[in-house]
Amino acid sequence: MTFAIATTDNNLKALVDPHFGKCNWFFLYDTETNQSSFIENSASQNQENAGCDAAGILLDKNISMAIAGRFGSKVVDVFRKNNIQMVIPETQQTISEIINQIK
Amino acid sequence: MGRIKKDRLIQMAPHFCGFKPQGLQCKTGEDVIINFEEYEAINLCDYELLTQAEAAKLMKISRPTFTRIYESVRRKIAKAFVEGSCIQFEGGNVAIADWFKCNECKITFTLPENTTKHCPFCKTQVTIINN
Repeated sequence: MTFAIATTDNNLKALVDPHFGKCNWFFLYDTETNQSSFIENSASQNQENAGCDAAGILLDKNISMAIAGRFGSKVVDVFRKNNIQMVIPETQQTISEIINQIK
Repeated sequence: MGRIKKDRLIQMAPHFCGFKPQGLQCKTGEDVIINFEEYEAINLCDYELLTQAEAAKLMKISRPTFTRIYESVRRKIAKAFVEGSCIQFEGGNVAIADWFKCNECKITFTLPENTTKHCPFCKTQVTIINN
């Protein structure tokens, strides 16, 4: 299973970004192979449809779970249609804390 | 007898209770009550920048109904601004889209179709539904 976390920066101490579409980086992690990578969110500066474009990037990576502070209504629609789980942490958490929780 | 109002679908309830004006010694006037469908209307229209037709479709109501709700929330916000009264989020005829909550992990999440109702982090059974 691969999951994606929307983050503010490209290191493991970065916090989860409060808004899915407008985050700077995505952190991808594969729980089976333990492989991880950062990809830049090229849609973050878009005025409109930033969320949908970002969702498109992630759908190409075959993720099954997305984690962010908030999802826009269009993104929720896209993810529901593609059967992808969305997770919103209630407290501010760093990437490494979330990885530890999922393991 | 009046017709019963249809439930409006909202994606998520606000995560705080309302607003308070700064620097007032004593309370002035009555609190302005904004219900959840009105909160969602202003969120979709002015924060997520959807057109009224798109927003109406998301909330599963007709476009004229959406416009009416949007009008009403704009007036309420203006009233609270000018008179300096508190804003409270409360009530309304709403159904909240399927979101689940795990109190152990402190997360809110959706469940993909054809899966059991388990928290993705701690894998325990989910009990609290719809916030």
